[in-house]
Amino acid sequence: MMTEQGRVLSALLQGKFICQVTDEEAWRFLKRKENVEQLEPHLSLLNRTLSTTAEGDVFFASYSTIGEAERKILTQQFQETASNLVPLVEWLLLVQQANETDMPVTMGNAIRLNELQTTIEDTPAYAEQLEKISRYRMFGSTSVNLDGQLKQVFKRLTELGYLVKPNPEKQIYIATGKVEHLYEILRFIDETEALSLSEQAEAAISQGSLL
Amino acid sequence: MSKVLIQAGTRLLNALGKHSELIMQTYINGTVAEQDYSPKVLEQLVQLGVLWRPDPQSELRLKSAVRTLLEGSLQDERNRTINANIGASLASLKTLAEHYKEALHYNRYNDASAHMSDLTEHVYQLSESLSNSVRVLFSRITNEFGYVSSVDAKIRENELAQGQVTDLLSQLECFRFDQLSEIAGSNRELRHLLVVSLQQRFSKAAQELSVVQARLLDLLGRFREFQGRTRLLKGYLLHMEQHPDFEPGNYTNLTQVPVLFNQSDNIVGVAAPDVNNIEHEQDYQEIVSSLTHIYQRKARQEEENSQQDIDITEQSTVSLEKDPLQIAVEDYFCDVIDSGQPKTALCYYEEKGLTFDPEVWIYQVIGGYQALGEQEKQFFALDPHGENDHIFTGNFYITDITLGLR
Repeated sequence: MMTEQGRVLSALLQGKFICQVTDEEAWRFLKRKENVEQLEPHLSLLNRTLSTTAEGDVFFASYSTIGEAERKILTQQFQETASNLVPLVEWLLLVQQANETDMPVTMGNAIRLNELQTTIEDTPAYAEQLEKISRYRMFGSTSVNLDGQLKQVFKRLTELGYLVKPNPEKQIYIATGKVEHLYEILRFIDETEALSLSEQAEAAISQGSLL
Repeated sequence: MSKVLIQAGTRLLNALGKHSELIMQTYINGTVAEQDYSPKVLEQLVQLGVLWRPDPQSELRLKSAVRTLLEGSLQDERNRTINANIGASLASLKTLAEHYKEALHYNRYNDASAHMSDLTEHVYQLSESLSNSVRVLFSRITNEFGYVSSVDAKIRENELAQGQVTDLLSQLECFRFDQLSEIAGSNRELRHLLVVSLQQRFSKAAQELSVVQARLLDLLGRFREFQGRTRLLKGYLLHMEQHPDFEPGNYTNLTQVPVLFNQSDNIVGVAAPDVNNIEHEQDYQEIVSSLTHIYQRKARQEEENSQQDIDITEQSTVSLEKDPLQIAVEDYFCDVIDSGQPKTALCYYEEKGLTFDPEVWIYQVIGGYQALGEQEKQFFALDPHGENDHIFTGNFYITDITLGLR
């Protein structure tokens, strides 16, 4: 029998993000300081350390020292993340707009696929947007009908760990901590490149153009 | 006097009941669709003070008293007004208490009891309006201002609610219990009303309001967070639209890689099975049994594909050669039949000078006998010679065998 510690450790070593949605037990385990202290030597043996994001609510393993090999892996990862940013942001906005509450998708949000589909079907602008999103290389849908496009997008997002589907028989998805990580990345890029994205958006809204 | 009042009240309530649909429609829509109802009915309702016309040009609306009644009874979440005028209520309470004391002083008991019931009514009204205000605030918080859709509107609603809480709190400061207890003096009933009952309500309201305030601030923070996120998303798209060739710098090349982009990859591979682990035997068996199915199928397909040549040459005959030992046993049986005399196996062995191991020979004789068919067995009798083991009974050592005809 594997202990909880072993289970959490192997999840971390597999490069998984651990949050309350994906694995509540592991998340609770990592929330306790003494558990983390026990885990850290095992991780450091493999040149890894426990890192958190989204104000300490999402855990993952990161490299403690970065050599050439690690840098190569990270660069590859980063390039993938960077190229996925636009499709992901467009998808987040689509879900937010189609979801009548106008709330951004955050960790723990439930997305009911059927309701979303109805709204998108009823609004040609959303349907167009969905088609555009599903054609991105990240999602790679070739389907011509809306149903197939939506399913493909959600399937890919589940594979990539942005969503989980708690009940395989129900079309309800829950956003994971990786979505929070995505926001953090956007925020980081915003600050580092001094893009002042919020101000741009606000200016655009006040001018009534677009969006 | 009271009879007339009762009659008038009944008439009003009857009218409300009779035209309930009109009133509810007006409550929902805000104004009366005058063309749908007869002018007489409308006129009657106006006279009863249910409807009114704010301007000569404007449409008929519900009087606020009726609207408040409906909002209060239906617990409608659209109800956003909060009666914060506690100071005025308190002043009227003080006045009534003075009336009551004066009447008591001059022994006008009738007047006193009338003042008392008035005062009671006012106190309860005040406490009800307090608890009502808190309830309204709470209901708005619990559904997170669900009656407006956009986050910006929610923020405005939240700010309004916060203003109302502040107002209510400042109004609560108007309660001066030292003054109230002075007014109540030593009168037991007054003391109960003005000090005990009001104080309980006051402390409860103050407590609840502080909770409300905390929750409102909490919600505001969340709404602002949502707003920030939405702006971030929209801003990014906008930026990408204006600068399509924008690419974030490669942060992984920095000497200090930000932790956001420092995510280690998967190093846990699949473990190999340990076939010597007894605990897993069952599992392995299951795995293997499910695997062989697949391989068997594959193997068969290959066989079918490879069998293409047809051999048309004559099949070589197969000659079955019997074991010499078996032949000797058969000869022994024949010999017994021919002579018709019983003979021990070892005797025959010596006679023929056979070269097998004697033990093997005896064993083979027994085997040969057992191999006969049921009917053939009937002809022979097999009699073993030997002795029991001295220690372990039930163990019989055969030294020789006599085969005879029955």
